[in-house]
Amino acid sequence: MQKYTHKYLEETVVDAARRRVAFVFDHFETIHVSISGGKDSSVLAHLAILEAQKRGRKVGLFFLDEEAMYQSTIEMVEYWMAFAPESINRLWMQIPFSLTSATSYQDSQLLCWEPGKRKEWMRQKSENNIRQKPWAEADEKLTSGYKWLDFYGAITNYERCYKGAAFLLGERAQESPNRRYSVTKHPVTIGGQKIFWGTPRGDNFTLKPIYDWQFSDVWKYHHDNGIKHSRIYDYQFLKGYNINEVRISSLIHERSFKSLCDLPEFEPKTFEKLCKRIKGVSFVQETGKAAKLFRASKLPKNFTSWIAYRDFLLETYPLPDRRPIFEKRFSKHLSNEYVARQQCRQLICNDYENNLPIDNKPDPRQELIRYYEEQL
Amino acid sequence: MIYLGRGAAEKAPLIKEHIAKHDIKRVFILGHPFHRIDIDDAEFIEYNELIEYRTFYRLLQEIDQRTLVVLNECLRNQNRYDLTFNCIRHFLRQTTHHLIFQYLPIIEQPSDFMTLFDWDTQSRWKPVQLADAPLHEATVDCRRIDLELRPVAITTDDRTKTAYQVEKRRLIDNIGLRDPHTIPRNLYLLSGKAKLAWAQSANGSLFDESRWFVGRNDRFKLPTMQTYRAGTYDHTPYTVFELPHNFLEFIDFLALSGQTAMDVLVADLKVDAWYWQRYQEWRNRLAEIYAQIS
Repeated sequence: MQKYTHKYLEETVVDAARRRVAFVFDHFETIHVSISGGKDSSVLAHLAILEAQKRGRKVGLFFLDEEAMYQSTIEMVEYWMAFAPESINRLWMQIPFSLTSATSYQDSQLLCWEPGKRKEWMRQKSENNIRQKPWAEADEKLTSGYKWLDFYGAITNYERCYKGAAFLLGERAQESPNRRYSVTKHPVTIGGQKIFWGTPRGDNFTLKPIYDWQFSDVWKYHHDNGIKHSRIYDYQFLKGYNINEVRISSLIHERSFKSLCDLPEFEPKTFEKLCKRIKGVSFVQETGKAAKLFRASKLPKNFTSWIAYRDFLLETYPLPDRRPIFEKRFSKHLSNEYVARQQCRQLICNDYENNLPIDNKPDPRQELIRYYEEQL
Repeated sequence: MIYLGRGAAEKAPLIKEHIAKHDIKRVFILGHPFHRIDIDDAEFIEYNELIEYRTFYRLLQEIDQRTLVVLNECLRNQNRYDLTFNCIRHFLRQTTHHLIFQYLPIIEQPSDFMTLFDWDTQSRWKPVQLADAPLHEATVDCRRIDLELRPVAITTDDRTKTAYQVEKRRLIDNIGLRDPHTIPRNLYLLSGKAKLAWAQSANGSLFDESRWFVGRNDRFKLPTMQTYRAGTYDHTPYTVFELPHNFLEFIDFLALSGQTAMDVLVADLKVDAWYWQRYQEWRNRLAEIYAQIS
């Protein structure tokens, strides 16, 4: 029985993306492209700038500076901001907001660009950038569950400064099933057309014109158009990273702190500055790839079960005010070794925000052991 | 084109024929180091290397319409959407010239065949499961391998049977956080001791110089026993001293030795019966997929 049919389109992904970007320019006055210095957003920025040049218009390049970043990323952002000044609005934002740091229990949040700590900043702000929040403090909206402005809160508040604007993102469905879902789950109608690569966001729209690109398409575009890429990719290539690992991400987040491991080799000066700025960086750099430690893949030999280890980690958790967060969360989980191992991982990575979700289900090992007991 | 059941010596002529017929300029042979094909000017790429960035992008760049990609015994994982397999999909999109050699169409389950099917059909049916797949869309040259496993019954004494029960209890009670599959694996090793004792006794007299065995490891240091990781098997026919837990190891052995009929030592312990039954069911699944594709 034939359930699915596959049809290859005549149009390449590059042509489709150009068409989508042109569509955005047709329907929106205000267009901002979020850039990160990575390969995907670079492609999108290039496509948008070319379209803006063609129409004699301007496109905003938005970059939320996390302070603790690769120097190569900063250079890439500078490259894009200077790429075609006549067609670009420089929206490089260096404002205080908090960023989750998995490198230290005590400093579990890095307050980027913290006022009064100018000497400790990784680098100084540029007077060409946006250095104050462009919204009124009284209107500031915090992300649900947060008491302070976080990364996503900063983006949300920034977007709320506009109405009827298009925010272009370089997300691709191929990156992960979650991304695929987030790209396509809430299609929008713009100019009478149903757009599956966009979602409504408050008074504005988030649009993802390269959502259907494969990573090879991205690199081909870089090559064909002679645009620059971060040299971190080159280092990762030389070190033989596999294709899932080749990415430029935050240096300190709980999902990406492994990038710290190779930082001294890639960018020694950045590493030195980061060590001074954030606690625990040096320790994570040395141990970040140790699966036994951070992935909680092997139980320390002095413990007989993951449950015992989890209880020990909870008991010795160094921040008493955060311990109840874990206790409350774990109380809703099943009590078995499978779940307890994941709970240990959250505790080790200080994931009080629940960014490493727990697969709360019966232990599959127990079922197998019972089967063998009966059969053998 | 998928070639099933071809021995090592038959592959090179098929590749050469394809090269000559289609004016191929470059040949990449992707596969496990156990499985080699000698072709002049062909580049061999190790299976484990395929996901490495340095290899993946180079191949994407170098494979074009005049390149032949040979997948030699590359079905090494049951996850159809495995990263290595996805890399292979990308390579195959670069050219229409590919030859897929696989000794058996599955590793363990009939659905494993869908990986081969995807490779041969440019992954057009990637979301479709075996039951709904239009299998006629793949070009399959199927040489069916009918395995004949002949049990050689081995009787164990009461002492061994008691030791077996004690060991089983001990393994289950002390499993802790170890992989549960260690239970049958370790019990089967105990069974191996009984087999050795039986075979070396007057009852069996199996261990003469002319008879070679294949077993899980080299723990008995027998000059006439090879393991499933030997890579070459020059002393066919082999007697199966014990079956491997991992079907892939057995498939490698079959492909490299070319042996299709063999004696299998089966002791009168439950673990032996379990392994024997497991392989019988596996043969049935093999027959099932042959019926579907031929």
